[in-house]
Amino acid sequence: MKKLLPIIFGLWVLVDVAFARTVEVEVHGMTCAFCVDSLERKFREMDSVEKVQVSLKTKIVRLETNENLPTIESIKKAVLEAGFTPTSITVRE
Amino acid sequence: MGLRSFVALPVDKGGAVVRLTYERVKSIDTDTLTASAAYGIDEKRTLLVGIPYRLSPSGSNRYGDLSMLYRHIVWQKDSLSGTNRLGFLGGAIVPTNNNRDAAAQVGFVFTHFKNRNEIDVDIVFHAGFDNRPSSARYDLSWQHRIKPVEHPDWGIVPELNVVLELNGRWREGQNTSHQVIAGLQWIHPRWVIEGGVAKDYRHGNELNYLLSTRIHF
Repeated sequence: MKKLLPIIFGLWVLVDVAFARTVEVEVHGMTCAFCVDSLERKFREMDSVEKVQVSLKTKIVRLETNENLPTIESIKKAVLEAGFTPTSITVRE
Repeated sequence: MGLRSFVALPVDKGGAVVRLTYERVKSIDTDTLTASAAYGIDEKRTLLVGIPYRLSPSGSNRYGDLSMLYRHIVWQKDSLSGTNRLGFLGGAIVPTNNNRDAAAQVGFVFTHFKNRNEIDVDIVFHAGFDNRPSSARYDLSWQHRIKPVEHPDWGIVPELNVVLELNGRWREGQNTSHQVIAGLQWIHPRWVIEGGVAKDYRHGNELNYLLSTRIHF
């Protein structure tokens, strides 16, 4: 069993890394700290989103996910429901 | 959003904002606390309610009338540097006292935001029923972000705005009063503290004071 544990752990890390991805969304209409908070919270509540970073300087929201989720459509929907406009989405595996 | 008006506030779908405003009006020696709330039905439609409560002087009849407004964003153009939005307003003023009559409300709110500056304009007309005189209001607010001058690469940091406003109030049978407000807003992601000093040009140029806080749920 002791010999199997490192193998199982290694396989788990491989699977996790295999599906990890970074999604960058350019968002128009982001104006102030108070209004952007809702968007950040919506993304934090999504399944598979491990990290959310917002840049009011470049108007980019960066998501780090560990699966093939959330979908591009659900990301666009979250931005629209927060009251902003998603203009481009870039996915890096 | 400015200090006096609540109708320019952007609210996300399912989001809610609560605001408490304290105002000291020297000319009539009155302290008032106003509670306002906004709920986002979706990103275009918002319900806004507000009710004032007179803290002093003492006596009965402390509650003012309940204002209920529905806002629909009919035009929105977002850009990298900001946004422009136009919303229509409609609703009612519901009296909290049997001695007062109701009113219908209609108006609009326009927001222009670019880089570090925001301008909000709203005009609302109240058509009084029965013995209630009609009234109207306008609010013109300019907010300028003085800190940070430039946002960091990543992360949301608190912001400090300076605010200048011109507010007008008209009541049927009376002259229009105008006020100029200068104030500050300390803006965090989940809450805001703001306040200002208002000069009332109708009542001997006296100074009134506002202090307010907003919380985002």
